[in-house]
Amino acid sequence: MLIDLRNVSKVYKAGDVVVTALIDLTMKVEQGEFVAIIGQSGSGKTTLLDILGCLSHPTSGGYWLDGESVNELPDSRITTIRNKKIGFIFQTFHLLPRKTALENVQLPLMYARMPRATQHDRAKELLTMVGLKDRLYHYSNQLSGGQQQRVAIARALANRPALLLADEPTGNLDSKSGNDILNVFEHLHQQGQTIIIITHDPLIAQRAERRITLSDGKIVSNEVTHPSSEITV
Amino acid sequence: MLLAIIHDAFKNLSANLLRSGLTMLGVIIGVASVIAMIAIVEGGQVWLVSSLERLGTNLLFVWKKRLTVEERRMFAGRNIMLKYEDALAIRQHFPELTVAPEVGFDGQLKIGDRDFSGRITGTSPEYSEIRNFFPAAGRFLTTADLQEWRRSVVLGKTVAEVLFGSESPIGKEVKIFGGVKKAKKGKKGDVTKVEKKEQETVEEYRFVVIGVMQPKGEIHGRDWDEKVFIPATTLLRFFKGKNRIEYMVIYVPDRNRMDEFSRKLHQFLVQRHEGVDDIRIRNQGDFLGAVEQTLWTFRIVLGGIALVALLVGGIGIMNIMLVTVTERTREIGLRKAIGARREDILLQFLIESTTISIIGGGLGIILGIFAAYGFGNLVAQAMPGGGDWGAVVEPTAILIAFTFAVGVGILFGLFPAMKASKLDPAEALRYQ
Repeated sequence: MLIDLRNVSKVYKAGDVVVTALIDLTMKVEQGEFVAIIGQSGSGKTTLLDILGCLSHPTSGGYWLDGESVNELPDSRITTIRNKKIGFIFQTFHLLPRKTALENVQLPLMYARMPRATQHDRAKELLTMVGLKDRLYHYSNQLSGGQQQRVAIARALANRPALLLADEPTGNLDSKSGNDILNVFEHLHQQGQTIIIITHDPLIAQRAERRITLSDGKIVSNEVTHPSSEITV
Repeated sequence: MLLAIIHDAFKNLSANLLRSGLTMLGVIIGVASVIAMIAIVEGGQVWLVSSLERLGTNLLFVWKKRLTVEERRMFAGRNIMLKYEDALAIRQHFPELTVAPEVGFDGQLKIGDRDFSGRITGTSPEYSEIRNFFPAAGRFLTTADLQEWRRSVVLGKTVAEVLFGSESPIGKEVKIFGGVKKAKKGKKGDVTKVEKKEQETVEEYRFVVIGVMQPKGEIHGRDWDEKVFIPATTLLRFFKGKNRIEYMVIYVPDRNRMDEFSRKLHQFLVQRHEGVDDIRIRNQGDFLGAVEQTLWTFRIVLGGIALVALLVGGIGIMNIMLVTVTERTREIGLRKAIGARREDILLQFLIESTTISIIGGGLGIILGIFAAYGFGNLVAQAMPGGGDWGAVVEPTAILIAFTFAVGVGILFGLFPAMKASKLDPAEALRYQ
């Protein structure tokens, strides 16, 4: 089991106002699954993403990632988990400006203390894989939205993460580019990559094999849309 | 990794060229002012020491103390005041010392229709050696000149030029007027003003020029080329009518025995003056020490002001780094999300602030050296007799300023960098 969330709650305090974002949430994800988490804004999607991505801790409850109890790990180990086991893809791409596509993809490799020459080769390989072989030295502002998101995917995959976490990956893209990105995801899924997509769009959620619907911090439905064997590209 | 971070720092700084430049300016001005200030004070010291050396070294100055009217009355009849004989006695009693008495009056030299007014100094042959001041033509005063009250005169370079132009003055005659020897002719009250004046300036003697001094220029506001020397004995006999001298300059061969001789001389003279302590001995070293202390004060005050400027530059760095951290909150969040450790972020921002201070420091050194020489020249022109006050840029000053600048960059970069490294990744990622 890759992800094991048990009775997770998250409470935010802003002054006197207490907001409960997640209430007693339990979910599991197996290795190799393609899961969509769907919900309206305010349903707790982002909070769930933060916890799954080890960007924040639950207020109560337990989180086991790949067998490790994340809550009990020291900060330095969590940083390493983010670097090695999780690949993030964001709606707004989050590429660094003034850096080439290659340099952006090299970043997680650099933080993994990989030798410079190896970084370069690996980044090139990843960009080739997402179809940007001839855009290696383009700066992020010289790339289209779809291309930027492909760079972000390459970056997310840099250290061969166990989990790919995508937060509204097509939200800032036109439908064609969005579809291209989803095709990339399906392709990765076929190769055995575990993927969790967070979205508010049911059409996108349909592309995944399992759909978890979130409302007011609770899971309201958990349905298998189609078994992995039936997926066609 | 480090290389990549440094590369990033340069990229980020050059992306905000105006901002980086203005921030650097604070450091540049700080470093430049530290270097310039220290260089100018250092130059002052070199100038001072060299000018004192031109006046002669290892010298003791023996002055008479000014006595009050009461003291004078009390000591009446005793052998007080500094006299020519005191100099002779010291010479005899302390053969290892070299003694030159000095006494003078404001007089006038005249030849034909040319004249020169100035201070006429009576001294002895030793003067030349002690004061490191030698004749360029002819000779200085000799023992014979003094023993025989000869009317020999040695002219300063300017005096010789005024009186003789390009001609050689050696062997020529000049008239010397002046002195304070009062005429005691006529009854008080019944002389006219004109007659009185004539009576008071009757001293007028013909002197033979025996030498012209080499140029020495101005030292501490006195032009040594306007000096006129005659034998001390001659001066006392013809122009003063008494044997009091103004002071003695005594050369001590061994620098380490200055204080010892100062004490011994004092004792010796008090004894000669029948127990009256009416003399004062000043050590040239004391004078130098006092001035050096003043220079140290200057060094600390000016250096301090400059360091404050550098500190202000550091605050500028901190300010801009805080802005940078805020601006790049999302970037920091992203870097953390993809695996940057706290120390990676810390290092990144610390290197950026240090880069500012290193570049600023480097440019500051260049500016500081230029400013030091420029300002040094300005000081030299403004100061009378400061003609050779040049700035001295010490490598240690450069090192201090640069080290301090880099230190400021690290110190003031530390707070913003720590702030950046402590950001919560989830919040930072979604910072608007």
